[in-house]
Amino acid sequence: MLGSLPTFARLEAELSKLPGIGGKTAARLAFHLLRTNEHDVTALADALLEMRRNVRFCRRCFHIAESDVCGICTQDSRDKQRLCVVQEPQDLLAIERCRAYNGLYHVLHGALSPLDGIGPDDLKIAQLMERLDREPIEELILATNFTVEGEATALYLAHLCKERKLRVTRLAHGIPSGSDLEYIDAGTVQQAVDGRRELQFK
Amino acid sequence: MTRPSQRSEALVLRYTDYGEADRILTLLTAEYGLQKGFAGAARKSRKRFGATIEPFTRAVFSWRDGRGQLWSLQDADLVAAHFGLRNDIKRLAVASYGVELVELLLHEGEAQPLIYALMCSFLSFLDQQGNPETARLLVELRLIYLLGYVPHLLHCSECLRIFHAEPIRFDIARGGSLCLDCAGRTGVDIALGTVGSLSRTLKVAHDQFQGFQFGRKTLQEAQFILSQVLDSVLPREPKSLKFLAQL
Ligand SMILES: [Zn+2]
Ligand SMILES: [Zn+2]
Repeated sequence: MLGSLPTFARLEAELSKLPGIGGKTAARLAFHLLRTNEHDVTALADALLEMRRNVRFCRRCFHIAESDVCGICTQDSRDKQRLCVVQEPQDLLAIERCRAYNGLYHVLHGALSPLDGIGPDDLKIAQLMERLDREPIEELILATNFTVEGEATALYLAHLCKERKLRVTRLAHGIPSGSDLEYIDAGTVQQAVDGRRELQFK
Repeated sequence: MTRPSQRSEALVLRYTDYGEADRILTLLTAEYGLQKGFAGAARKSRKRFGATIEPFTRAVFSWRDGRGQLWSLQDADLVAAHFGLRNDIKRLAVASYGVELVELLLHEGEAQPLIYALMCSFLSFLDQQGNPETARLLVELRLIYLLGYVPHLLHCSECLRIFHAEPIRFDIARGGSLCLDCAGRTGVDIALGTVGSLSRTLKVAHDQFQGFQFGRKTLQEAQFILSQVLDSVLPREPKSLKFLAQL
């Protein structure tokens, strides 16, 4: 159908390569861009190109950065004794949004997955160990996802750090705040029961 | 127009994320063997599926016929989450390996009640902190047996002489164990104890994992024998094997 419209078909094909975008959505986006004025389309194209040229990964923590080292690593006010390990840059941003953490980060760029053959060498784990050698870190916070892969990764890292003088912690998880117990699925309730903690009375 | 939904118990072997919030699950069931299921919006809302959309979970799924061979999953009730697997990387790796073997060895849609029972016990044994080497040996041996690939063990593959003593050689290309006369220069030496253990193990119910105690030598030689058999029948090397080697 689009054989006579090679330019349009090419845009559709490129858009459908994006994650979460199927053929129909790609077509809808392409038609939308067709109706957009030239100025806005140029702005989008420029933004894409400049992102590709300027954005890279921080050589210390592997978060996205526009110079060799990212904005977080260069911030003086950060607590340099705490290091929070996350799977992806998006996870780092999620923790930043909560404003409860002021330490440094390390982005692994994935999680261990035996089923997909993703082992320790495929992640930024060696780089993490180097940082632990070099930097004055006292607490390592494991904030990988609460999926099989994320839990496996946390476990593996905890194991690697066994011999180090380091406090290793894991984010708490279980029942989302503001929810009724009766509506929570059995797996989540089980994890919450397993991870229960002592109430402190003062 | 909509047909009533059916219910099947299944193990979740693997998932692939699809679109923004959907997930396609690879399931193992007793009645339908390997089966793919579509869990719409499963990643956005945990209401219908909860923790059941993760690998190694055992759950009862309600489903309807979907597009092609894909089941359209409606909801699920958890039977066992096997969270214990997340406490030990070695056990998790062995669990992944067993699951990958099943994916590689089974065809979609064939009823596999015995393999289903085997895999349920295998995962539950590892979940309860069972020995990972034992679990690996048992799952490999039993899968090979249930799928009809078991080699000749206690007798010579060619002259059928029954072994009462060593030496015994093993060469999967010639069917399994060989006596020295038949083996000539081929094969690798194997202890009588190892082939004896393997063949005794096959007489035990296939879903029993407790109570086995294999010695170092038996584990090593059995792993050699079973890897030879698996190499000869698997379409490719399991990815989880590469992971296991990295531990
Ligand atoms: Zn950085
Ligand atoms: Zn012979």
